[in-house]
Amino acid sequence: MSFLHKKLDEKDKEKIKEDVKEIVDTFGSVLSSLSDLAEEGSIERKNSFREEKKDFNNDSSFRKKMFKNSKNKNKDFIIAEKKKW
Amino acid sequence: MVNAVERVKECLKVIEEKNKELNIFLEVRDEKELIKEAEEIDSKEKKGKLYGKVIAVKPNINVKGLCASCSSKTLKDYCSTYDATVIEKIKKEDGIIIGTVNCDEFASGSSGETSFFGPCKNPLDPKLIPGGSSSGSAAAVAAGMCDLSLGSDTGGSIRNPASHCGVVGIKPTYGSVSRHGLIDLSMSLDQIGPFAKNVGDAALLLDVISGKDLKDSISLDGEKLDLNSLNLKKKDFNVGFIDFESLSVAGDVRINDLLHKKLKKIVEDFDLSNFEVLSNSSLEIMKSAVQIYYPIVYTEFFSATRKFDGRRYGEKIEDSCGPEVLRRILGGSEITRAEHEGRNYHLALKAKKSVEDVFKKMFEKFDIIVLPAVPRLPHKIGENISVEEMYAYDVFTIPANLAGICSMVVPVGKIDGVPVGIQIMADKFNEQKMLEFARYFEG
Repeated sequence: MSFLHKKLDEKDKEKIKEDVKEIVDTFGSVLSSLSDLAEEGSIERKNSFREEKKDFNNDSSFRKKMFKNSKNKNKDFIIAEKKKW
Repeated sequence: MVNAVERVKECLKVIEEKNKELNIFLEVRDEKELIKEAEEIDSKEKKGKLYGKVIAVKPNINVKGLCASCSSKTLKDYCSTYDATVIEKIKKEDGIIIGTVNCDEFASGSSGETSFFGPCKNPLDPKLIPGGSSSGSAAAVAAGMCDLSLGSDTGGSIRNPASHCGVVGIKPTYGSVSRHGLIDLSMSLDQIGPFAKNVGDAALLLDVISGKDLKDSISLDGEKLDLNSLNLKKKDFNVGFIDFESLSVAGDVRINDLLHKKLKKIVEDFDLSNFEVLSNSSLEIMKSAVQIYYPIVYTEFFSATRKFDGRRYGEKIEDSCGPEVLRRILGGSEITRAEHEGRNYHLALKAKKSVEDVFKKMFEKFDIIVLPAVPRLPHKIGENISVEEMYAYDVFTIPANLAGICSMVVPVGKIDGVPVGIQIMADKFNEQKMLEFARYFEG
């Protein structure tokens, strides 16, 4: 297969869904075969809290840009379809 | 030294000449605005560390006012509302951001082919892929369209294209560079890093962007880089070499042979007393690196993309993305289905920690681990290859992301006219050591 970008139709999407299940199963069987695994790692940081007021300045152009990015809006609101969230 | 205005003009000229063919830049800032900014920098009495440097940025990093499209139809008109921390730092040091460059869609790919805006081409041979996912970042530097660039590396996305395009690319230690403003692919693995034509310039940009940032809670301050000590000098590094046989990788043996030859010369020239090719048996878990990596990426990418619902901005991702992005989303959806209880994700995180432990042990013995960057030469754009083959491009680069260590690629030669890089790894926050060793390859 070619990895070039292409527009996907429903048939393509269905095929990808089938294929990826197989890929995930393959990953799963390899992972299950690994022995003597360590415990999951974690990252803990001390003093990682920030003071919001100190670190974030109001940017006057932010609002303008944010609304420009939105497709459906009126003056003060981004409009989303009801009951579909 | 060339002043900022002259340098901007030179870069714009090269972009004008080459971009139509190579499809590297997605957006170039307005010329007048760039010249004005450069003039202001030229007129400063005290200039920053990046004075005279023109920098391109991968479009998954927010640059206020530029489109952070992630090379996707989903965000093709999305205008960044703020600067990522790395961009703020670059601007503070008088670097000039010239524009954004092509990449694999949402950084999902190893070839540069999956972009909605068409494939990025390799400046050294436009028929070939430049590697990915930070394809444009590597290609722009190689083509002379900018001095430096920023990419992101989740499983090799900086080092893979650096190797294919013959430039230097660095994946810093996980947490050493702020990811505030990076549109994430996989939060456990992502790292922003620099590209340059030489080790010194890459180190300069790394020095500027590194450091703790309160807006990225996992970020930390490492040891400050000493750029002056990067000048070539004899040091006795303990070096371990992971070659094709060490990981049982069936790749292009010419790459393996070239690296053996280059390393033999380095060992002789710099009189390294401890050089060892690492055995297969101690690296067992790293042979499954690809199978450990993708469940993490699929799961975290699936989670990261839930915000792209097309309501507040952009289009709904499942309706607008290409095949590789959809594969990862559906893969993540499958792994996180309630009935599986996250089993594969948790197993992968445990295996990730085991890889980290293997490296920890290796770095008790070695200062530096060297290994190939990619197992094969780049394929032709549009060529048919399997998912497994595509994922295997990153077999040598993924381990550094799993372990969270620093790693970089420097060019070491060419095969059939195509550049080949070598990968150099050091322990977490040991970038200084890694960069000093990398200088050995620059003669």
